[in-house]
Amino acid sequence: MAVNGAETAEKIKSLIYKTCLYQDDCEWKNWLDLCSDDFNYYIRAYSPEIQKDMEYMGGPKEYMESITGQLRKHNIDDSPLKRHGIVYRVDVADDNKSATAVTSLTVFQTLLGGNSSHVDSGTTGIFLVGRYNDKFVIDGNDVKFIEREVRLDTRRLDKGTHWPI
Amino acid sequence: MSARNHEQWNAQPKLQSGEWVDSKIYSDEEIFEEELEKIWKQMWIPVCHESELKNAYDFRTMTIAREPVIVVRGKDMKVRAFLNVCPHRGNMIERRPSGSFAKSTPSGTPKTMTCMFHAWQFDMKGKCVNITRKEEGYQDRLCESDVGLRELKSEVYFGGFIWVSLNDNINQTVEEFAAGALDSLAPSVNEEPLEVFHYHKAIIDCNYKLWHDTNCEFYHDYLHYHNRITGFNDEYFARKNTGFKGGHVNVGSFEVQYENYEGFHSREELSFPHLPANQWYMIDMFPGVNFNLRGSALRSDIMTPLGPNKVMIEFRGLGLASDSPKDRKIRIDHHNSIWGPFGRNLCEDLIAVTGQGAAMQSGSESRQILHGRHENETIHDENGMRHYYEEWGRWVGRSPSHPDQPFVEPAETA
Repeated sequence: MAVNGAETAEKIKSLIYKTCLYQDDCEWKNWLDLCSDDFNYYIRAYSPEIQKDMEYMGGPKEYMESITGQLRKHNIDDSPLKRHGIVYRVDVADDNKSATAVTSLTVFQTLLGGNSSHVDSGTTGIFLVGRYNDKFVIDGNDVKFIEREVRLDTRRLDKGTHWPI
Repeated sequence: MSARNHEQWNAQPKLQSGEWVDSKIYSDEEIFEEELEKIWKQMWIPVCHESELKNAYDFRTMTIAREPVIVVRGKDMKVRAFLNVCPHRGNMIERRPSGSFAKSTPSGTPKTMTCMFHAWQFDMKGKCVNITRKEEGYQDRLCESDVGLRELKSEVYFGGFIWVSLNDNINQTVEEFAAGALDSLAPSVNEEPLEVFHYHKAIIDCNYKLWHDTNCEFYHDYLHYHNRITGFNDEYFARKNTGFKGGHVNVGSFEVQYENYEGFHSREELSFPHLPANQWYMIDMFPGVNFNLRGSALRSDIMTPLGPNKVMIEFRGLGLASDSPKDRKIRIDHHNSIWGPFGRNLCEDLIAVTGQGAAMQSGSESRQILHGRHENETIHDENGMRHYYEEWGRWVGRSPSHPDQPFVEPAETA
């Protein structure tokens, strides 16, 4: 890690936590503003059932902007998701121009409607478990996401969600 | 009359018999148990795809009507199905969802199915090949030939799906069972080998038939913003629902205008063989299987009923085994952007049916569920569901509209 790597690593941790807050609050534009124009997003999982690596969702920044911009037109499950991330590791390249980070991720869902809102609303359960595997581009003081892979362990996703994780 | 009182609410609908069902068929414990015995244990059920067992000694496990099932590929490359139960003490032989018997296990040697409990071993044809300390325990009273696995009827049919039946006496092939319902897509899925690229599951609180209904009727496209703007046109409304013997339904195709949804594009470049660009077929097989082909990607829904108000749905996505990595990635995007667990449509369907499940829980008051739309058997006609429930009535022996009364053949088909 370069001399100023520790400072960059702290900046990256802060950036990752910022994405959790923005996504928790469905502030998709603010989330994507933290990403470079070349950003790509993926949700992937390995399936022991079919013994294959799978990609549940994926696309460049433009695509993510497009589908999040149309969410209000969809019948979505409004039960809020809360991302609990712990950044396990940040590696800043020696030239201080790129970095990677691994974040352990648990996403909780607090039901709004559930199956029957009278019974279920307010109930919190684990929605999914996985990791963020992030890549960054660094330009001086400016750090932006260039790739986020959400690597899931969970493959039973029941109703799923329209929202990026 | 506007809102109705209890008596009015429960009055018989002003529709013909067969144009509504009693919600009890979605919630009653006794009816559910009858369905497992009279339907699910009697039918052909597709349990997985042959690409999930590519090599000799590969296996997949699953259940049908609570019975543990294992599908294995033998040294002769033939796929066979067995009850996944050791004949010794009734233990489940293999617990993993998939894998290979080519290598040894902690309790057993390679190329055998070994029950970890007492290390009894079986070959890929279900023959018992080793009873540990046999002579000491059984002397000459029991030998390997007495304790083979229970083999189940199985067939590979329709693009490589593996179909299994718990009914040893089933008197139809899968082709006969399908009764022509799969024919419209057969050239497209049989032209070259297919491969599964996607799998996820949902366990949701609703009866399995409600999920099947949702796949059968397209009137619910009002639920989907994507389908409204890429579909609703004259060609869409002319799509035909065609019933086939056995309760199966085929929903005819039309050309989807994917580019009408911002960020989406035509799927023309990767159409399945013999399929015009951007077509969308749906085949609903009795009692709970759906094949859905949107031009470039095939989706299958295989239902496992878990209770009157609980079903597991396994979602698979399939492409051509010959796909280049680039084509496969595009095909996966096409599939998951609509049908993945984070796609535009699937979660909307799942939200809707769990809403039905919540309103039809066991013990709740019976409701009349209307299946009475008539539109010349086109896309928003509910003839597909009517056709399904007629068959359901035959198998269960109950009237779908009055489940406490016996099923009577409709006059026109009696």
